[in-house]
Amino acid sequence: MSGAHHGDHSHGHAAPARPAIQPGLSKERLREILESRLAAKTDSRDLRGTTVIVARERLRDAVLLLRDESDLRFDQLLDISGVDYLAFPGHRGPRFAAVYLFKSTVFTHRITLKVEVDEDDASVPSIHDLFLFANWAERETWDQYGIVFVGHPNLKRLLNHHEFIGHPLRKDYPCQKRQKLSVNDPMIDQLEARLKQRGYTVLEHGVFEPGTPMTYHDKAGAAR
Amino acid sequence: MKARTPAGDIADLMTMNLGPSHPATHGTLRIFTALDGERIVATACEMGYLHRGFEKMIEQGTYQQVLPYTDRLNYCSAMMNNIAFCKAAEGMFGVELPERCITVRIILTELSRIIDHLVCICTNLVDIGALTNFWYFFNRREDVYKIWEKLCGARLTNTVTRIGGMYRDVYPDFASDVRAVLPGIEEAVREVRGLIEHNKIFVDRTKDICIVTAEDAISWGWTGPCLRASGVDRDLRKDDPYYGYETYKFDTVIGTTGDTFDRIMTRIYEIGESVGIVHQALDRLKPGPINSTDARLMMPSRQQVYHDMEALINNFKLIYEGVRPPAGEYYDAFEAANGELGFWIVSDGGTNPYRIKVRPPCLTQYAAFGAMVEDELVADAAASLGSINIIAGELDR
Repeated sequence: MSGAHHGDHSHGHAAPARPAIQPGLSKERLREILESRLAAKTDSRDLRGTTVIVARERLRDAVLLLRDESDLRFDQLLDISGVDYLAFPGHRGPRFAAVYLFKSTVFTHRITLKVEVDEDDASVPSIHDLFLFANWAERETWDQYGIVFVGHPNLKRLLNHHEFIGHPLRKDYPCQKRQKLSVNDPMIDQLEARLKQRGYTVLEHGVFEPGTPMTYHDKAGAAR
Repeated sequence: MKARTPAGDIADLMTMNLGPSHPATHGTLRIFTALDGERIVATACEMGYLHRGFEKMIEQGTYQQVLPYTDRLNYCSAMMNNIAFCKAAEGMFGVELPERCITVRIILTELSRIIDHLVCICTNLVDIGALTNFWYFFNRREDVYKIWEKLCGARLTNTVTRIGGMYRDVYPDFASDVRAVLPGIEEAVREVRGLIEHNKIFVDRTKDICIVTAEDAISWGWTGPCLRASGVDRDLRKDDPYYGYETYKFDTVIGTTGDTFDRIMTRIYEIGESVGIVHQALDRLKPGPINSTDARLMMPSRQQVYHDMEALINNFKLIYEGVRPPAGEYYDAFEAANGELGFWIVSDGGTNPYRIKVRPPCLTQYAAFGAMVEDELVADAAASLGSINIIAGELDR
């Protein structure tokens, strides 16, 4: 592979060339490592055979192992997805699963971790401190499925409005259901939290008027 | 608001909402900032203004009915999304596509990548105030859109593929039309490079601005041209090739520092590589069947339907029910213009998808945006937002 640098127009301190991508471990070997070290089990549903189910108590250990072990090096969290098996034919076991897709920039191998959780205790430990992207990915999964990521610093909805009630991708959320959402999220709390994180001390809080609900008028002019 | 800075000074911070946020526009974002003078000191980003419930909607229809929705993910390169979804679904069936179909898909993919990059770069330059480039690039994009129109009647949302092949074969003059637009694209790239590459205003506005290091880009989950601009030489077409990309001659373009300049330039140079791939694919385009003959996916010919009972039943089943992938879960990735576009599909063996999670490449880029622009100037945030190419259709789904 030859990289066409456009560095000749550039800053003088060219980044060291990264080695070419390596094949990595076979899926059988990956499953074996996770099975022996973290008591994970292979998910027979995955048609590619690259998904393993881990207990939620072992999730953070599994993610650290995948990220840091020299022959694994899964340094990219691609996405976190939820799934609700409520309507899945013949499904037995926990209702929800959180699904973590990983890939590597060192090896071509890929792996998917799945954590199964019951409806009455739908929570998994957060990995926001292990991958920068996990913060938002966990917010989206919480928003869509109501799976709580324990330890997340700001578990707010990501796609839906903050007034939205329920979790739309759950199989028992009716797809035609409508909700009236009108008040803007002032987000000043998030901004102040970020300022604090960056070493600022807020002495005098921002002045803002929380949005007031809008009034809608029907054709006859009556407010509703 | 009054705040004590990390250096111990008292600063009077101003809060301001940044971002394209007119209610009538698509692609609305909200970047809430705290400013110390013109410098951004903290951000809180919001998204979801174009959230349509894509993943809920597509659970209601059949697999082939997912395709029009995928058009509306990254609508600057709709065909690429069609092809990426079909590739994922075809992977579940394990179906082999005819050579001609694959070659046509590569031509459409690379042309889509070109027009996606053209839009990204020229609107980014408009944000910086370099308006001329816009006309150079949009005229060439229009040439490609004329081909799209002749190919399927639609310009923006094409729905041109089907699981198992294409909506139909390309029209007779397709290859010569494509060959005819390529020199114009290369010329436009030369012109724009001439205008910006050594332009002091442009270089000052973009060099060493909003740097994302390779390490951060990887941890943010960046893929595609933005990751490559940070110096990480990774491209699915090289690393995990599909559709025979390993047999095409092209280079991956990488940056050195991961600043706004590198992100723009990576895309500019990638256009040239894609033009090269299209030339090679056109040379290989031979007559032949365009669609798979797999009866699980494709309709039998009229001739068969009228003369063969099995074909008639097959025809009815495909119309009334649709295609049925095997029960199971499957993730498939595609090197789209913006990075890795992935579909994680859960099938219960039925005709409707049980669950499809889209892995949109620009979500990871936008997730990083807040941290990227902190300590930069407001005007640089605007220049940098264009360089990460947020397309709200796929961002908000």
